[in-house]
Amino acid sequence: MKHLTEEELIGRYYQERVGEGEDCAGVNEHIAACETCAEAYAALAWDLGEVKVIEAPARDEAYGESVWAALEPKLVAHKKGRWSWLGGGVVMRGLSYAAVCGLVAAGAFYAGRLWEQKQTHVVVAQAPAPKPKPRVVVVVLSDHLDRSERLLVELKHVDAGSTEMVSPLRDEAKSLLAANKICRQKASQEDDPALTTALDRLDHVLDGLANQPGGLNSAAIARLQEQMNADGLLFEVRVLRSRIPEERGAGTNRANGGTI
Amino acid sequence: MLRMGKNDHETIRAVLSGDKEAYGALVVRHSHSLLRVAFRITGNEADAEDVVQEAFLRGYQKLEGFESRSNFSTWIYRIAVRCALDKVSGRKPDAHSSQVSEENDPEQDAVQVADKGAGPDRLLLSAEIRALQQAAMQSLTATEQTAFVLRHMEDCSTEEIGAALGIAPNAAKQAVFRAVHKMRSRLSTLRVSI
Repeated sequence: MKHLTEEELIGRYYQERVGEGEDCAGVNEHIAACETCAEAYAALAWDLGEVKVIEAPARDEAYGESVWAALEPKLVAHKKGRWSWLGGGVVMRGLSYAAVCGLVAAGAFYAGRLWEQKQTHVVVAQAPAPKPKPRVVVVVLSDHLDRSERLLVELKHVDAGSTEMVSPLRDEAKSLLAANKICRQKASQEDDPALTTALDRLDHVLDGLANQPGGLNSAAIARLQEQMNADGLLFEVRVLRSRIPEERGAGTNRANGGTI
Repeated sequence: MLRMGKNDHETIRAVLSGDKEAYGALVVRHSHSLLRVAFRITGNEADAEDVVQEAFLRGYQKLEGFESRSNFSTWIYRIAVRCALDKVSGRKPDAHSSQVSEENDPEQDAVQVADKGAGPDRLLLSAEIRALQQAAMQSLTATEQTAFVLRHMEDCSTEEIGAALGIAPNAAKQAVFRAVHKMRSRLSTLRVSI
């Protein structure tokens, strides 16, 4: 049989003293059945029974007032209405903390807004100006390509034997040749290889028309027609012309014309 | 003139509203119970009175933290127990200077008791028994002594002891067990001699 420990016996002793002996029914049953534990418990009860309760020194009814008389000079009155009694201290402190947190949050929010606005202004101010479009005046280029297209169409269908038709071609080619050189030069500066290449080929055709040694004969016209067709120059000029409306729409001031 | 008649909660409300004098009613109302437990723990009348003063002073200073759902008598009682524990802890280095030695020497102990308690009227030697008990109490640590007093003399539960000492109930229970074990060891000489 496993005997009760001293802790169990002590627990039972004090529970019995306060009328809770029935709470340790298992211990009671064991003590009733085990002579060794019963003797141990009796010894414990005797020992603890010998420990008398210490009686405090007698004091009369005025004792409390004497304590207060000695204590009162040491006390400082609580501030009136500082905190309400029913947990008001805790509530007020909580509200104070909440108010401080709210102010901090509001301050941080406002500072953030100011900082954000300032940053936006800085970004706007520091943003690089949009790169200017090529300063080739679109209207001039458009007119040049229009005229060049008409010239190429006429060249495509010209009757090489008709002097009446060849002479205006030559004159028009001479007229376009100078403008074409300027447009080509500008396109080259603006790093527009498609336009540069097209104007370069156009330059060869215009030059052949305007400055053909010995005049424009049927053989020269046929050669130029062949060159124009082989290069697809007419088609290329039309493609370039198709770009013009987009660029004209993108730029507002360009439509007003200007210089190259 | 101290105003009586209000219950503790109403009195505390008045005190926190700035009426310092109202605290006097609480002091008068609870001084005796605090003196009792303070004396049982300290075993010294002067120390017990100091503990009562200190407990009421601490209570006044901490009154704003007193929760309305608590019982003031329990609250101030715990403060007094802490003050008494502090008082006992401060003088515990002298605890082992008692006349009863730490080791249980049957011969020596028998002489100590038998010399003064021999004869058919030994059961009347309450003074010697109290002295032995006091010496046994002083052999305990401050926590053990306080826990034992609260359990054995104040009939506090281990939960109440734990709350008063600021320790877990199980730790309070263990403190009581250790105290009882030591006390029995000390008082065994009494059993032999009687």
